Amino acid sequence: MRRIAALTLTVGVTWLVVTRLPADAVQRPAALALGFTLIAAALAGALLERIHLPRVTGYLLFGMLCGPYLANIITRPMARDLQLINGLAVVLIAFIAGLEMNIRRLRPRLRAMMQLGGITMLVLYVALFSVFWAAWPYLGIAQEVSSVQRVALAALLTTVIASFSPTVTIALIAESRARGPLSELTLAVVVLADLLLILVFTLMMQFVRFAFGGGVRDVGLFIGLSWEIFGSFAFGAAIGAVFAFYLRSIGRELPIALLTLCAVTAGLGEILHLEPLLAALAAGLVVENIAPPKGDMLKDAAERGALPVLVVFFAAAGASLQLDALALIGWVAVGISLLRAGLIWVATRLGARYAQVGPPADRLVWMGLISQAGVTLGLVLIVAGEFPDWGGRMQTLIVALIAIHQIAGPVMFKAALVQAREVGRLDEGRSPLEEGEWSALHAD
Amino acid sequence: MTLRERLERVTWVFRTRAALGVRPLAAPVMIFIPLGVLLGPQAAAVLSPTALAHLDIVISIALATLGVVVGIAAGREAGAAMRLFIASTVEACVTMIVVAGAVGILLQTWQVPVAMPVLLVSLALGICAAASAAYSVDVGDPHARQVAARVADLDDVAPILLGGMVLAIAGSGPAREVGEATWLTIGLGLSLGVTGWLLVEGAAGGAERGVFVLGSLALLGGATAYLGLSPLLAGLAAGILWVVAPGRCDVIVARELRKVQHPLIVLLLVIAGASLEPTTAGIWLLAPYVIFRCAGKIVGGWTAARMAPAVAPSDLGAYLIPPGVIGIAFALNVAQVAPDAATSLVFAVSAGAIASEALAIVVAPARQAA
Repeated sequence: MRRIAALTLTVGVTWLVVTRLPADAVQRPAALALGFTLIAAALAGALLERIHLPRVTGYLLFGMLCGPYLANIITRPMARDLQLINGLAVVLIAFIAGLEMNIRRLRPRLRAMMQLGGITMLVLYVALFSVFWAAWPYLGIAQEVSSVQRVALAALLTTVIASFSPTVTIALIAESRARGPLSELTLAVVVLADLLLILVFTLMMQFVRFAFGGGVRDVGLFIGLSWEIFGSFAFGAAIGAVFAFYLRSIGRELPIALLTLCAVTAGLGEILHLEPLLAALAAGLVVENIAPPKGDMLKDAAERGALPVLVVFFAAAGASLQLDALALIGWVAVGISLLRAGLIWVATRLGARYAQVGPPADRLVWMGLISQAGVTLGLVLIVAGEFPDWGGRMQTLIVALIAIHQIAGPVMFKAALVQAREVGRLDEGRSPLEEGEWSALHAD
Repeated sequence: MTLRERLERVTWVFRTRAALGVRPLAAPVMIFIPLGVLLGPQAAAVLSPTALAHLDIVISIALATLGVVVGIAAGREAGAAMRLFIASTVEACVTMIVVAGAVGILLQTWQVPVAMPVLLVSLALGICAAASAAYSVDVGDPHARQVAARVADLDDVAPILLGGMVLAIAGSGPAREVGEATWLTIGLGLSLGVTGWLLVEGAAGGAERGVFVLGSLALLGGATAYLGLSPLLAGLAAGILWVVAPGRCDVIVARELRKVQHPLIVLLLVIAGASLEPTTAGIWLLAPYVIFRCAGKIVGGWTAARMAPAVAPSDLGAYLIPPGVIGIAFALNVAQVAPDAATSLVFAVSAGAIASEALAIVVAPARQAA
C-alpha cells in the first residue's frame, strides 16, 4: 500500500512538473529524469517480481509506458539524458560478470561451453543466411539488387540478427543471484558470440562495401580487429591489475573506486576504440582469478551499485524503444523473431548433444539467448549511417525485433533460471550482510 | 597583538594542523577547487564546457543533498536546542546584512558593471557569505569548537530560505511571484519528502533503500532545477519533514547520505573550480567579499554570543570563518538559473572560499588555558 501511494505521488508530482508547471528557460531535465526513473522503475520492477517476472522487464515496461511514445512523462530530451549512463552501465555489468567467472571452477566445463557456443553460432549463421537469401524479395529492405549484393546483404542481416545481448544476460544473472551450469553456459555462449560478432560484422561490412562498389578498407583491417579484441582484453587486464592493487593496498571508498574504474574504462575505451564490454569483463576476470580481494566486500559494493545502474539502464532502454517501428512492420518482425527463436532452439540442442551438456541446461540454454539490445542496435546504426537508403529500412526491421526481444528475452531467461533451480544460489555459503539485504535483488 | 605574537599564532596553527597531516591545505575547498581549475576549460580542458554541461545533473543532486543534510540537522537541533538555533539564525542574518549592505554600497558608489541588478548581487553574496563550516582541526577551546560546529550546521537555514527567494528573482524563466515560487519549492520538497518517507520506511533491503534515497535526492534536485527553483530549499523542507515524520526515516537517510555526500561534495567543488572564469567584476568583488564576510562573521558571532551567552562562546565568529560548501553551492545554483550573469558571483564566492580558508588560519581563536 505504501509503495502504491509512493508510486502515485511520484508519477503525479513528475507529471505536474513536466506538463503543468512553467519550466525554467534553461531546461535541465537530467536529474528529474534520473530521480523519477530510479524511484518509479524500481517500484515497477518490484511489482513485476511479485508475479514472478524479472525486475528488468519491469524497468523496461516502465520506460516504455512512461516514455515519449506513450505517456510522455519521460520526454525525448529526458530519454536522451538517461542514455548518458549507458557506457557506465555496460562496464559495471560486465565487470560484475567477470567477478563471477572463476576459471578454476569453470575449467572442467570450459571445453563443452566452447563447443556448444561454436556449434550454436555456426548453425544459426548458416540457417538464418539461407532463409534470408531465399526470402530476400519479401523482406522489403532492398529489392532490386544483384546476386552478389543479395548475398552480401543477407549475410549482413544474418550477422546482426544472430547477435545476442550480453548486457541483458549478465544483468538477469546478477539480478536473480543465479549460479549454476545454465547461468555459466549462457554467459559463456553470449561472450563467445560477442567476440565472434565483432569479427564477422567487420568482415561482412567489408563484403557489403565491395558488393556495392565502395572502397574496401582493407588497410589495417586485421590490425584494427586485433586491437579491438586483444587490445580490449589487455587494457581491461591492466585496469583490473591496478584495481586489485588498490583493493589490497588501500581498500577504502570502494563505491567511489568502482565508479572511477567504470568511468575510466568507458571513457578511455571509447577514446582508444576498444570494446568496453570486453575490457570490463577482462578487468573483472583478473580481479577474481589473479588477485581476489579478501571477503565479499568488492562483490557487495559492485552488486549494491548495480541496482540503481540496472534500473536506469533498462528504463532508459524501454523509453527509447521505437514502438512506431514495431507498429510499421510488426508482423514481419514477429515472423523473423519466431524463426530466430526456433533456430536458436535447434542450434543449441545440436550443440548440447555434441558437447554432451547434461540436463536441464541442454534444453534450457536457448531461452537465455533470445534477448537483443544495445549491441544489436549499435551495429544497425553503423549500417544505416553508411548506407542510409536500404540501411534505414534494415534499421526499422532490427529496431522492431529489438523491441520484441528486449521484452520477451528477460522473461524467458528468468523462467529458464527458475526451472534450472539456479535462482538465489549465488548467496549460498555467503555471510549475510544484513537481514533482508539481498532481498531487493532476489528473484524469488 | 604584536606582529611577533600574530606570527607565532599562525605558525602554531600550522604546527597543530601539520601534526594531523597536511590539514592547513586539506580543507576540501583548498584542494578540489584548484583541482577543478586545473581540469577545467581554462587550463587542461579535461572538463570541457560540454562535459560541464553534462555534470549539471551533479550540481542539482548535490544541492538537494546539502539541503537535506542541513534540514535533518536543523530538524533535530531546532527541537532540542532552540536557543542555539535562534542564535545561529541571528548570526547568519547579521552576516548577510553586513555583507549585502557593504557590497551594495560599494557597487553603487564605484559603479562597477555587473551582469545582474546590484540588489541581487549584494543579496546573493550576503547569502553565500552567511554559510560557514567550523574548524575540523584542534583549534581553540574544545567546547567552544563543538558549539561552533553546531552553529555552523544551523546557520545555513536562514541563507537557504532567503536563497530560495533570491533565486526566484534571479530566474530568467517565466515571471513568477517570489512568494509563489518559494511556496512551490517548499511544497515540492514536502511532497517528495512524503514519497521518500513512504519508500525508505518500507524498503526491502540495503540495496533498495539506497536506490530510493538516491532517487529521492535526484527527484528533489531535478524537479526544482527543471522549474528554475532552489534544490537547497526543497532539500531543506524534505530533511525537516523526515525528522518530524514517524519512524526512523531521518536516521536511515542520514546513514545513506554518508555514502554519497563525500563524492558529491568533491564533484561539486571540482565543477565550481572548472567553472571559474575570471571577470573584471568577479576580481573586483573578491577582496571586498572576503573582508566583509570576515567582518560579518565576527559581528554576527558577537551578536549571537550576546543573545545566548550560556550556549555560544564570546569569540564564536572567529570559529565560523571557514566557509564550507553551502555558499559555493548557492552560487552554482544561481549560475544554473542565470548562467551568464552569475559568472562573477561564482568566481568571487569560489575564490573567496579559498581566501577565507587561508584567512581562517590567521584569525584562528586562541586555545584557552587549561
